[in-house]
Amino acid sequence: MTSTFYGLETAKRGMFTQQSALSTTSHNVANANTPGYTRQRVNFVQTEPYPPTSKNSPNIPGQLGTGVKAGTVERVREGFLDIQYRSENNKLGYWDTRANALEKMEEIMNEPSDTGLSITMDRFWQSLQDLALDPTNAGARSVVRERGVALAETFNYLSTSLQSIQGDLKNELNVSVKEINSLATQINNVNKQISEIEPHGYLPNDLYDERDRLIDQLSSLANIKVTNTPSGGNAIDIAEGSVTIELVDDNGKSLGTLVDSKFKRANEFKVGYNADNGLVESVTIGSKKMDILEFNSTGKISSLIDSYGYTYESNNTVFEKGLFPDMVGKLDTMAFEFAKQFNETHREGWSIEDYNNGAQTPVDFFSFGATTLTNPTGASSLLQVSQDIINSTDHIAAAFPDSTGNVTIGNSANAIRLAEVKNSTFRIGNDTTTFQNYYEGIIGGMAVDAQEAERLTTNSQTLRDSVDTRRQSVSAVSLDEEMTNMIQFQHAYNASARMITMQDEILDRIINGMGLSGR
Amino acid sequence: MRVTQSMLASNSLRNLSNSYSNMGKYQDQLATGKKINRPSDDPVVAIKGMFYRTNLTEVEQYKRNLNEAYQWMESSEQGIEHATEVTQRVRELLVQGQNGTNSPEDLKAIAVEIGQLKEDLAGVANTQIAGRYIFNGTKTDAKPVTVNADGTLSHEMNTEAFNVEVSKGVQLKVNVNPTKVFGEDFFNTLQAIEDGLNGGSLADSDLLGKLDGHFEEISAERSEIGARYNRLEMIDARIQDQEIIASRILSENEDADIERVITDLTIQESIHRASLAVGSKVIQPTLIDFLR
Repeated sequence: MTSTFYGLETAKRGMFTQQSALSTTSHNVANANTPGYTRQRVNFVQTEPYPPTSKNSPNIPGQLGTGVKAGTVERVREGFLDIQYRSENNKLGYWDTRANALEKMEEIMNEPSDTGLSITMDRFWQSLQDLALDPTNAGARSVVRERGVALAETFNYLSTSLQSIQGDLKNELNVSVKEINSLATQINNVNKQISEIEPHGYLPNDLYDERDRLIDQLSSLANIKVTNTPSGGNAIDIAEGSVTIELVDDNGKSLGTLVDSKFKRANEFKVGYNADNGLVESVTIGSKKMDILEFNSTGKISSLIDSYGYTYESNNTVFEKGLFPDMVGKLDTMAFEFAKQFNETHREGWSIEDYNNGAQTPVDFFSFGATTLTNPTGASSLLQVSQDIINSTDHIAAAFPDSTGNVTIGNSANAIRLAEVKNSTFRIGNDTTTFQNYYEGIIGGMAVDAQEAERLTTNSQTLRDSVDTRRQSVSAVSLDEEMTNMIQFQHAYNASARMITMQDEILDRIINGMGLSGR
Repeated sequence: MRVTQSMLASNSLRNLSNSYSNMGKYQDQLATGKKINRPSDDPVVAIKGMFYRTNLTEVEQYKRNLNEAYQWMESSEQGIEHATEVTQRVRELLVQGQNGTNSPEDLKAIAVEIGQLKEDLAGVANTQIAGRYIFNGTKTDAKPVTVNADGTLSHEMNTEAFNVEVSKGVQLKVNVNPTKVFGEDFFNTLQAIEDGLNGGSLADSDLLGKLDGHFEEISAERSEIGARYNRLEMIDARIQDQEIIASRILSENEDADIERVITDLTIQESIHRASLAVGSKVIQPTLIDFLR
């Protein structure tokens, strides 16, 4: 026989359990719009039946159920979707940053337009053609000089603007490095809290959410691999434990540990700059330092390094790579070669002053200020019209000796030759081409890069959004569902309460309604 | 698949934002009239755009050069025309002077006219365009013929070609050989005629032959510049064709097809309205609205 009060306990447990389910429902509804929140569920477990098997157990038919208890409160989440999300988010971080950098570059280059370098070169060519028509005209000479100044200034403007964006990228890189370290520290702190709670048999769901949210953020900065380590102690099976976060390269090989669950510490991520050219040369995670070429990983940080520029040494040659250094380098090459070829042609011609003196003095049209450049580095920011030409337009050499070696003031053969420098084929950088084509190549290369970056940004965004939708489908709070659950739990709660009333009536019958015959 | 309110809300938001970005694209195209606004929109169109722009600038410049060439050639031809007229008049006067019926006074009167014609011819030889002497080769800053104080003439002529680039790599000579039109010999012949008339006899009976020789030279130069003028006109026609073609290609390459953009924009607008309407329907009601 079971105790008279047996049903009272079962009903009470029912009420308590339904109440905890209602509390969880309430928690879910309250957090319906909290970023990173995962809906929670109370796992209902039947309590041990009566009687338990033992030597002295009462001999009654069958085991009677004793009701319900709240087993665990669990997050409804799919770990595999997290891995997918982070992988796509990582690619998005890389391409989005790259697309932004290239967008700024495109804005600076401003082609095709009526204000870019291309049109400035065309105008310079035009002014030389006008000079050829009327080589003695002081106005035509001034126009050549001013258009030359405009061309030099356009080169200067492009170069300095690119370098200033490059400076911004460096700031952004430093901020991102701070962000990755801050995230690592926060994850490490959450790790510590979780490892203190789990051994007591609890599931710290809200801390898990917090940690997952931080790891999601981290995944856009760098390519990461997350491994879980059980907390030990009395931790239950579904406890997630602490996480170790490693940075991995494109092949999944570990580059270093950012958050160490074993020693409960976050290793600092650092970027090392070269003392000479200021570009990134190394990356350090904790005590592990690696050359920039080893750090072939995706993510925002690596994208910023690619855009800002990195440097390495190979066979005693220092290489400077990256979107912005490459673009500045190409402009430098173009400015350097153009000035060189233009000056060579200009030095062969006769100016008005030469004509008046009766002897030719070679004069440069372009110069690099006080500096004498032996290689193109820095050429585009230094290019200017030489002081001789600034001092007097009489130094512009428009004339070229005729077949008999005579020079006349109305001769403009050299002006035509100067105009043709733009359209003549030279060795520029590694290509044999004209300046016009070389510049078109620069813009075309940038355009294709930017287009690719934009396309892949859209692609990875779509993929990430689709994974996120699936993740939301599993983990997000549905108000309809919570309302349904609420009604379900409320009814069960009410029913359990009714059971208590029923028990009360039974007891009332026993105590007050039985054995009246003796009165 | 389980669908939650937040998913609906974020999807709705994402769709709206895509729709706005599409409308922004069409708006840019309408406002600028261009298919592309940055090279990455279409790298090939961008590169071609740069190339065609340069092409068009060149064509415009060559048109400017052509105008200059026309000016030189027309002025040169006028000078030759004038020289021809002068030669014809001198010939008339010479023939008249060779008649034995003239008194010495008559001959002197003819000599005066010839003297004037000679100076007039010197003036034509010194024709200037925008301060440049066109009958002195490339030595455009100096007079080819100088009238000295005593009435004699000094000659210093440059015969270099003055070339103008009229299309890529094609240079056209736009001046004439001044020694063929206003040569020292010609002036010497005129002087000899004048002197002979003043002296009362035209001893050198070959003056008429010499004059005819000069006339031949002038005519030859005139036909040569005429031929070059024809060539200039042909180049002009070609450059004008090129301008039309270059502008058309530039336009086809990068100009937006406005009808199409407006149609696309209208379609996008209705899609946008639809997604707004769907958003307002889908986000609002939940079970709570129907529970007591």
